[in-house]
Amino acid sequence: MRKAISVSDLNYKYPDGTLALKDVSMDIFEGESVALIGPNGAGKSTFLLHLNGVLKEGDGAVKIFGNEIHDRNIHEIRRKVGIVFQDPDDQLFMPTVFDDVAFGPINLGLGKDEVERRVKVALEKVGLSGYEDRSPHHLSFGEKKRASFATVLSMEPDILVLDEPTSNLDPKSRSELINTIKELNDDGKTIITATHDLNAVPDIAGRVYVLDKTIVAQGTTREVFEDLDLLRKINLDVPEVVRLFEVLRCFGYDYENLPLSIEEAISHLTQAIESEGGHIHLHIHEHTHERLSRTKEWHNHHTVKKSGK
Amino acid sequence: MEYIEIDEYHHLMSPIHQWDPRAKIVSILTLIFSVVLLYDLELAALGLIFAVILLLISKIPLKFVMWHLRWVVLFILPFFLIMPFAVLEGDITVNPEGFEYAFLILIKAISAVILIFPMIGTMRFNSTAKALERLKIPNKIVQMIIFTYRYIFVFIDEFSDISRSLDSRGFRRRTNMHTIRTLGKAIGMLFVKSYERSERVYNAMCSRGYTGNLKTFDKFEMMRNDWVKMFIVMGMAIGLHLLHFIYFMEMI
Ligand SMILES: Nc1ncnc2c1ncn2[C@@H]1O[C@H](COP(=O)(O)OP(=O)(O)O)[C@@H](O)[C@H]1O
Ligand SMILES: [Mg+2]
Repeated sequence: MRKAISVSDLNYKYPDGTLALKDVSMDIFEGESVALIGPNGAGKSTFLLHLNGVLKEGDGAVKIFGNEIHDRNIHEIRRKVGIVFQDPDDQLFMPTVFDDVAFGPINLGLGKDEVERRVKVALEKVGLSGYEDRSPHHLSFGEKKRASFATVLSMEPDILVLDEPTSNLDPKSRSELINTIKELNDDGKTIITATHDLNAVPDIAGRVYVLDKTIVAQGTTREVFEDLDLLRKINLDVPEVVRLFEVLRCFGYDYENLPLSIEEAISHLTQAIESEGGHIHLHIHEHTHERLSRTKEWHNHHTVKKSGK
Repeated sequence: MEYIEIDEYHHLMSPIHQWDPRAKIVSILTLIFSVVLLYDLELAALGLIFAVILLLISKIPLKFVMWHLRWVVLFILPFFLIMPFAVLEGDITVNPEGFEYAFLILIKAISAVILIFPMIGTMRFNSTAKALERLKIPNKIVQMIIFTYRYIFVFIDEFSDISRSLDSRGFRRRTNMHTIRTLGKAIGMLFVKSYERSERVYNAMCSRGYTGNLKTFDKFEMMRNDWVKMFIVMGMAIGLHLLHFIYFMEMI
């Protein structure tokens, strides 16, 4: 399989001296959907800005489909790599939704008919057909977020880079957006999503990189979420489902494939109950209390630290 | 969030709404200049009548226009206090001609402001922007107008966020140093935020292939009616000065 994104030993320091990235390496293959997780200030956004040359180190550390990013091919790169920024107000700068979604295609030098076709398709994809003439300041936050997806989709990029796509969304908009991301991946787009919404990660990504200035862990989503100690060390939480199964383990329930989502939990428990003859067995054993208090301690420690920030 | 918007009545149907945006801007702008450059009261009054006629045709509610006009009137009122008084050799004298001047300024200002409504209040703001672009206004200026329009609303939101958070922490606006200092800091915060946002917006623009020029599509097409309307309004503009010329000749 082709490498869509290949990053080797990327370092980045902001002009004011803040070290944001240290020896970051990453390979993402065509058609994959990968999550980049890490606490606030871990450098996720900084990293993403390197993927289309908005920030550059100039040492050829970033390759897109095997090509280094130069000034010469920057337009080609930006056509292939579309970034959806975290704050939709940064992404929607034109007076109407149509003009905003058409902005990218027009810059690509496409003709009027093709631009109009792409705007139509992109708005359909995010469920905003009929919103062409609306002004951004008349959209709800969820609609703005979807509109900002459309502004990037209309450029028909092969790689989609999403910065905190689910932040600040109400539950309905959040799950709609997660579905859109899944669909886009099914359509064949390579996707990299930076997020600290860990509950969304199992839904949208098959593989995870954990960033804390440098890559501190990587693997399949399951592998990464099984390493609770590491995640907690860098102040990251785990999905609620994972935490629940951790509690079940304290009550003596052993399992191999850690379920990561509610759906997985349902099929996991169904299977376990069926194979155990109609029930599962939980009990309090000599280590239960000790393990439970350790789990709770981790959790409290974590929340205190988070709110104390 | 409720905003006061100049294009709030863009959806109405009127001959002015259905006028090609480019012709509309050029014609009414010419009329505005024509009125502003007048200097007799009678003709200025005629200009005001033209302005009101165009406003009535545009069907924009008078209440909406009045609401905006109050600022103009407030701004002009001091002229009535200043203009009539002249200082001659150390003595303050009252000069009735001063009233006439102040009146002239008021009428011209009101006419000009009234005309702005049929000009840009009868179409979506994006049509105005596109029309300016088609009229070969320098692209940089068009971009500045577009971004100002877009981010003024974001700015309003951010300001009301800050002001709400001040209120919720018991801040009261009074006329004292504490109030001024606090508001000063809040406004400073807004500037920093805006600066940071401008960088992020620029990044987002570059990411979508921006190279310094802004292009948009429109469906503008000049029809016979557009030319007719342009002819009429331009006629008003030129007519006012022709009348002035005739007046002037007669006086000699
Ligand atoms: N424009 C900037 N100038 C200086 N430092 C910055 C800038 N943007 C981000 N940083 C710093 O770089 C680090 C990484 O930030 P960022 O990439 O935004 O992290 P994340 O997206 O993971 O929250 C943080 O310490 C942040 O304060
Ligand atoms: Mg970030």
